[in-house]
Amino acid sequence: MEIDLLFKIAAIGILVAVLHQVLVRAGREDQAMMTTLAGVVIVLSIVIREISTLFNSVRVLFNL
Amino acid sequence: MDIVKIIGVGLIALIISVIVKQYKPEFSMYISIIAGAIIMFLIIDKISGIITLLTNLSKKTGMNAEYLSILLKITGIAILTEFAVSICKDSGETAIASKIDLGGKVIIISMSIPIISALLEIIMKIIP
Repeated sequence: MEIDLLFKIAAIGILVAVLHQVLVRAGREDQAMMTTLAGVVIVLSIVIREISTLFNSVRVLFNL
Repeated sequence: MDIVKIIGVGLIALIISVIVKQYKPEFSMYISIIAGAIIMFLIIDKISGIITLLTNLSKKTGMNAEYLSILLKITGIAILTEFAVSICKDSGETAIASKIDLGGKVIIISMSIPIISALLEIIMKIIP
């Protein structure tokens, strides 16, 4: 739960961007779309997990 | 010493989000959300210290514990709504931000009704 999360998401973002370009150049637009979607789904799962832990700890803290 | 960590996380997230914005604009929003979450985690144990101090003080002064719990709930709601509103504003969705803000305000007002009614009763007693 530290700074490496930021680097992980940045790496996924850049990787997805590069893969998208490569696949588009290779003429496979649909696979490029799939990789972009996969990247977005992975990053979303990470973000949602962090947000849920944050909201849970704030809820427990303020006994909301 | 914690402030250095908070500033460090903020600056690193800023740099990464600017870099990633060229390739994938939406990822910079993810990075700002995660940076906000990390910084909130850093300050959460400070907040719990403050809350225990407040509860001890309120026990000493014999204040009604229910009011303090309502105040803490309102603070928590304010922190969470501000967290969401700033992220929405950052990504340019001011309409959504204002709706979240409105929702937060309505919930806070609805939670503070007991305090308001108690205040009115006290005022009624004072005025003969």
